[in-house]
Amino acid sequence: MRCEEARQLFDAYLDGELSPSLATELGVHRVRCAECRRSLALLEVSGHIISSDRDPVAVPDDFSERLLACVDVREHGWVAKVRRTLYFVGPLAAAAVIAMAFLGFFDRGRDSRVAGVKVEPTHVEAGAPRPNASAPYDREAADRAIDQWIGQMQANRADKAQTGESTPKPPDLTILQILEMLKDANEGGPELHHFPGADLNELFGPPDEHPVDDEDVEDL
Amino acid sequence: MNVTQREATTSREREVQLIGRARGGDRIALRELVDLHKDRLFAFIWRMVRDHHEAEDICQDAFLKAFASLDTFSTEYRFSTWLFTIGYRVCLNRLRRKRPFSGDLDFSAMAAEGGASPSATLESEEAGRVRASIWSAVDRLSPPQRATILLFYRNDFGCQEIARVLQLPLATVKSHLHRARARLRELLEALPDQDWSNFRNLSERAG
Repeated sequence: MRCEEARQLFDAYLDGELSPSLATELGVHRVRCAECRRSLALLEVSGHIISSDRDPVAVPDDFSERLLACVDVREHGWVAKVRRTLYFVGPLAAAAVIAMAFLGFFDRGRDSRVAGVKVEPTHVEAGAPRPNASAPYDREAADRAIDQWIGQMQANRADKAQTGESTPKPPDLTILQILEMLKDANEGGPELHHFPGADLNELFGPPDEHPVDDEDVEDL
Repeated sequence: MNVTQREATTSREREVQLIGRARGGDRIALRELVDLHKDRLFAFIWRMVRDHHEAEDICQDAFLKAFASLDTFSTEYRFSTWLFTIGYRVCLNRLRRKRPFSGDLDFSAMAAEGGASPSATLESEEAGRVRASIWSAVDRLSPPQRATILLFYRNDFGCQEIARVLQLPLATVKSHLHRARARLRELLEALPDQDWSNFRNLSERAG
């Protein structure tokens, strides 16, 4: 075996992959050739030292603690952020859902009382624009209209009493009809914009034929 | 199944269990995984970068990256293979950023720090020089060759496993190993004759 051939076999020999016959041939060459003997010895010793030499440095004792602290920080960085968000947002969302369900329940009732008056539901087209929705409510005009209407009612009653006619029962009015009357009475003056009752259409739906008690009208 | 195989199987089962628990956020399992692998990973990284603080930093980074993507890890492979793959990648990135390692280190001081080792049977100054020369030669290898040599000799990784760690074809790994040995031989053959006699003594002890 020549030196060149022997050197080609060094790796296989060191890895223990050489066939017995080739290993014997290499061994014989090794005994005869000082150069190859030296080269192979260099590699054997190098391998031995690299594999067994102790490392002059060691991982610090507190490495694990510090590493796990970093894991916590990373978790607090995004996982915990999500957790915190869910922790606070969750109950709020639940409260919102309950509130909406609560309102929905009363919306279906459609027979609520507002200020002692039976408010009759009115149908409103979904999504229909509310005219002058952004205009301010004219309180003075509304008061004048109410006073005017009450004055007319009292004058009518007084006239009927003088002529001996029996006082007829006041008509059954829904709050929306009253609002219409107020609006008519306000003609020529400032418009009744965004009167609170106007929103009742949306809240309570279309009117029906339920009568309104006298006492209720008086209260108004 | 012999005792060694049985132990290996138990160890694998234990590792898979630990990974399963760690995926669920079990801190004890995470701690165990760290304790199982930190020494070998740190030693490998330190041999690659030759800087204590940087090695610690890279080691920590490798663990954090491994834990962050624990869900994507396939338990078909050893956890150490995956961890070393990440560690090696981080090492390469750091090495690319910094200047090439000069190799001028005081290995005699390192040898003194290392204390008793299998090769410390040679207490002479010449023996220290031999060991220093070997490690100096290792440091002069290219990063893939150095990683191949370290994983092969110090971590007992087979060529197939090294190929996984370095993300290289098996043939390339074998080539790296062959070239690394040739380079070591070339570097060490320049040693004076006196030191060569120490080599011969070491060789006899190693054999």
